[in-house]
Amino acid sequence: MRLRARAAAAVLAAGVALLLAARQAPVFAEVVAPAAPVAPATAKATPAVPESPQVAQGRYLAVVGDCEGCHDRPGGAPYAGGLPLATPFGTIYSVNLTQDRETGLGAWSADDFWNAMHNGVRRDGAKLYPAFPYPYFTHITRAESDALYAYFRTLPAVSYRPPANKLPFPLNLRFMVGFWNALNFKPDNAPTTGPNPGQHIVEGLGHCGACHTPKTFLGGDKNGHALEGGKLDNWLAPALNSDQRRGLGAWSTADVAEYLKTGRNARANASASMADVIRYSTSQMADADLAAVGDYLRGHPTHAAAVGDVRVDPKVMQAGQAIYVDECATCHAADGKAQPGYFPPLPGAAVTQSTNPTNVIRFILSGTQTVATDAKPTPLSMPSFGWKLDDAQVAAVATYVRNSWGNVAPPVSPSDVAKLRRKVGKPIQKPSAKV
Amino acid sequence: MRQFQVDRRTLLGAGALAFAVPLASSAEQLTGLGLPWAPNTSSFPTAVDLRARYVYFNADEAAFIEAAALRMIPADPTGPSALEAGVPLFIDRQMAGDYGKGARWYMQGPFGKSTGTQGYQAKWPPAGFYRAAIKAIGDHLGQNNGQPFHKRAEADQDAFLKDLSGGKVDLGADVDGKAWFTLLLQNVMEGYFSDPIYGGNRNLSAWKMIGFSGARYDQRAYVLAYGKPYPLPPVGIGGRPAWSMKG
Repeated sequence: MRLRARAAAAVLAAGVALLLAARQAPVFAEVVAPAAPVAPATAKATPAVPESPQVAQGRYLAVVGDCEGCHDRPGGAPYAGGLPLATPFGTIYSVNLTQDRETGLGAWSADDFWNAMHNGVRRDGAKLYPAFPYPYFTHITRAESDALYAYFRTLPAVSYRPPANKLPFPLNLRFMVGFWNALNFKPDNAPTTGPNPGQHIVEGLGHCGACHTPKTFLGGDKNGHALEGGKLDNWLAPALNSDQRRGLGAWSTADVAEYLKTGRNARANASASMADVIRYSTSQMADADLAAVGDYLRGHPTHAAAVGDVRVDPKVMQAGQAIYVDECATCHAADGKAQPGYFPPLPGAAVTQSTNPTNVIRFILSGTQTVATDAKPTPLSMPSFGWKLDDAQVAAVATYVRNSWGNVAPPVSPSDVAKLRRKVGKPIQKPSAKV
Repeated sequence: MRQFQVDRRTLLGAGALAFAVPLASSAEQLTGLGLPWAPNTSSFPTAVDLRARYVYFNADEAAFIEAAALRMIPADPTGPSALEAGVPLFIDRQMAGDYGKGARWYMQGPFGKSTGTQGYQAKWPPAGFYRAAIKAIGDHLGQNNGQPFHKRAEADQDAFLKDLSGGKVDLGADVDGKAWFTLLLQNVMEGYFSDPIYGGNRNLSAWKMIGFSGARYDQRAYVLAYGKPYPLPPVGIGGRPAWSMKG
């Protein structure tokens, strides 16, 4: 009797399980997923033979370095390269890191690899373009380089030669990089993991500054302005420092770690370029390392001038408020507090108060989508408003959110919006909407 | 009898098992590393270009529609007339678009008089039906005393529309006058109350009249404020005057 009851219950359970699996129950998973074991979002087949500790370390370091962020191209084999990187100076294609002798790293020795990581020099002696972030990787230790090398040795050979770089004369001459290096690059003579693991990750393999540090006209890091926020691809990579309004000063270490692990926290949602960084790299990093990164970043000093007196035309604020109440309050709520963890709150947010208003304008014009991670698998999106709001209206509502609920930031002008609108393109009507 | 009894512990266990399945999935399995989304892209409506006047109706048709719509919704102290609200222009754009062409309708024969429960039975899509019906009405009125509809006195217009709606006007074998009146009345109401982006409900006037808030999604602050007037003016898909600094 009892047995049959159990069998019936098992059938019931299987049925419910199938039902849930079929519906994929994203909202449910949303709520309880953190308790589940987290598998890497880009899970590679686990090797059949247990790998050596050195290879395992290298595999993890490749995640920390977000190597796949650049060395995977859509549809290509992992690490086979070929992703076009649009730099301000021209297009550079990432190289093949697999073990193919002709087109990949198959012929490289551990010394060759170290020379590339540490000095930015290729096996044939030619200089690598700094699109490969050797100015950061120079801070990793020889042991870390060797571990990465050992891991890359395990990658199956894929014969693939990326397209030739598209660089104008004289940048197409690799020896020119020597001049660039003289001005912008200093090999780290005694790399060490140091007493601060967060700093070692941020300044080394993590190469956070590649996007988050402002650049000189040569594309090198601006001296003394590390992590104060950089421009990239018509986005602003926000400041990662102790700035209360524009940086991470108001965040806790746990906030930073949660953001990097799951793509969201109660203060912000990750999207745009940061989505790939989280997907390929930080969501798969160890919690302790993420906490170390958080510790380091939120204590990183800022040199940015405090926000001065901001004067905003009350008529602009009135128009901005009208638009906000009608359109934005749906998700972000009339008081801006939104639904923390789902829709990001606007009061106190760095993205709303950054001196450079690019991101807030772009979110309004084009919309955005949060990254999907194993912990937060449902990517929330913000719709685009570029089709219904004109430049003055986008400027008004952006100015309103930048100067309400305690926020203070310079107003946005309609010409700021017009400039960005030309770069991000025109509204696209979904075919289903055409009647 | 007892074999179908499931004790509490087993049921809870079954529930736990069921809940465990989606948990074991990764983001990739759940959402394929993303749901469909693209920047700058949305299902926005095409706004009517109000700079052009009529694009489908000819002068006679426009004169008839304007006069008939004005009798269906005349101006009064509660709100604007159909003409002031831009209804004829709305219907003109309806007829010029896919609705007028019956683009999504089955439009093959047989055609005949609708039994009333069959829905649209005319042999033309709405645009053609309007053209044929207004022509037939013109011919019908011309036979009797020559005055076109829009030149007649209001009482006369009302009497004719009443006859038309009652099926008392014979417009020939092809044109079901009562069916067309029903279509016209429907379209006039649509134009009067639809979003201004489509050409009617000019200045949100119909929504102001009935106190409809319009295309505003978040009503949480007001939904429990029983007995208090709703504080915000209506908003259309294209906004409201307060969105611009000129206002």
